Amino acid sequence: MNSFGYEIWLAMVTCFAAVFTQNILLTTFLGMCPFTSVSREVKTAAGLGGAVVFVMTCTTAINYWAYKLLIYLDLEFFRFILFIIIIAAFVQFVEMVIDRYSPKLYQSLGIFLPLITVNCAILGASLFMVIREYHFIQTIGYGFGAGLGWMLAILAMAGIRTRLNESRVPEGLRGPGITLIIAGLMALAFIGFTGVLS
Amino acid sequence: MRVLLKIFEKISPIFEEGGKLAAIKPLYEAIENFCFAPSAKARCAPFSRDPLDIKRYMTMVIIGLLPCVVASLYFFGLRVIPMIIVSYMTGGTVEVVFSIIRKEPIAEGFLVTGLIFPLILPPATPLWMVALGCAFGVFVGKEVFGGTGRNLFNPAIVGRCFLVLAYPAVMSSSWVKPGHGITGRLLEYVSSANIEAITSATPLVEAKHGLEDMSHMFMGLDISGCLGETSALMILCGGIFLLLTKVANWRTVVSILGSAVIFEAILHRVNPEQFAPGMWHLFAGGLMFGAFFMATDPVSSPSTNEGKWMYGILIGVIVILIRNFSGYVEGMMFAILLGNIAAPIIDEMVFSVRLRLLKNE
Repeated sequence: MNSFGYEIWLAMVTCFAAVFTQNILLTTFLGMCPFTSVSREVKTAAGLGGAVVFVMTCTTAINYWAYKLLIYLDLEFFRFILFIIIIAAFVQFVEMVIDRYSPKLYQSLGIFLPLITVNCAILGASLFMVIREYHFIQTIGYGFGAGLGWMLAILAMAGIRTRLNESRVPEGLRGPGITLIIAGLMALAFIGFTGVLS
Repeated sequence: MRVLLKIFEKISPIFEEGGKLAAIKPLYEAIENFCFAPSAKARCAPFSRDPLDIKRYMTMVIIGLLPCVVASLYFFGLRVIPMIIVSYMTGGTVEVVFSIIRKEPIAEGFLVTGLIFPLILPPATPLWMVALGCAFGVFVGKEVFGGTGRNLFNPAIVGRCFLVLAYPAVMSSSWVKPGHGITGRLLEYVSSANIEAITSATPLVEAKHGLEDMSHMFMGLDISGCLGETSALMILCGGIFLLLTKVANWRTVVSILGSAVIFEAILHRVNPEQFAPGMWHLFAGGLMFGAFFMATDPVSSPSTNEGKWMYGILIGVIVILIRNFSGYVEGMMFAILLGNIAAPIIDEMVFSVRLRLLKNE
């Protein structure tokens, strides 16, 4: 029981570190494409962020066991392909389930679910999970935290961009240009967390 | 004075449209406004009779900063003056170039950034770094977003963050031992030549070996640190002036200082060996300076009152987190930058909650 409690504590620490210290978007710059293109409105950003949290938590958990299987078969080099297939299959499966049982949610998520399949942050989280040798509960904490960190970053960006509508950004920088500059400044701020709980 | 006025009248047509120097009209206007009240009159409605325009606003902040400038002169010597001049010159150049390109009058917002920026730097920072940081801060932190009143981040903070990350070694070793006695270092020019002056760690750095006396830290006596941040007393003088004139919002200040002290006090209660007392952290480093002069920037902080509370608590908690747990000893600038990042979404949340409440009524 005691060691289980320790595992939970470790998972929480990993989760916190994944949100702030090793924010997957602002320190490793994964998942930039949806970050720049879908951050125009707060509502859509929140939808996409929520979907990423859900998919990331589930796929890292599934990939944990898939990787165990690969180790057993001595096929570790196969992990990239297997992870991608699992992520794609999982997203498709979730999409079908949601479409069948809750058309309303399906409508509101819309294009975001299939978009997530090609989000490199999802694959990145699974690979980090392997590299950093997390245990299972820790993996769940990491997947959730990485997703949450991504969601917070895109929400902040969406808020900034709605305010940006009123400002006069030089013409050549409008759109992706200024978004990348803001992302850089955000990363600048997140460097302050270096070393917290890692 | 009359001679000057005549000169202005004489040369003004050159800067009008079609004149020879029409391109640098903003520069002319700025100088004219600086010398006299602007001669231009409002031609159409709406007319506002409020005397508190941007210019007054900025003047208030500068008056509030004066005690800190005086304190930094006393503690760290005459080198403060060239630092301020360099900061004004480089930042001003960027500002002037942009307003010439945009064909608009020069905004007064820069007057504050140019004064705050040197005040948050270590006293022995090389002058070229002052110039670089200020230019970067004004360019990337403000002008790219559309100039004064439209910046999302505090330009001075952006410039300092850039310097800390680009030149970590210089920025963490440029501390100067403050002067004492009647004249302090008032008659001294500290440069990298007299090395003995330049090896004095800030209280936050020394906290690992032992805590500095709190009354010393309140007055700023014998305390090393950035130019403007060492004397809590002087910051309070200027800060309370800003609160009384309502230029700085008290909600932001109270929530930052309050949340930081309470959070640190809780940590201290849990483990007194590892964490310093709450009040100690209040006087250490840039917490007070940042809370009074930088986080209260009306443009980059949330515009709603509820939002200001949340923004302040966010900054206060993050400062203590970074100071105690991360690799950096001082977290105020990162915390304010993070607060600036979160400010728009905090406002957005407050608005949506308000709308929902209105709908329910």
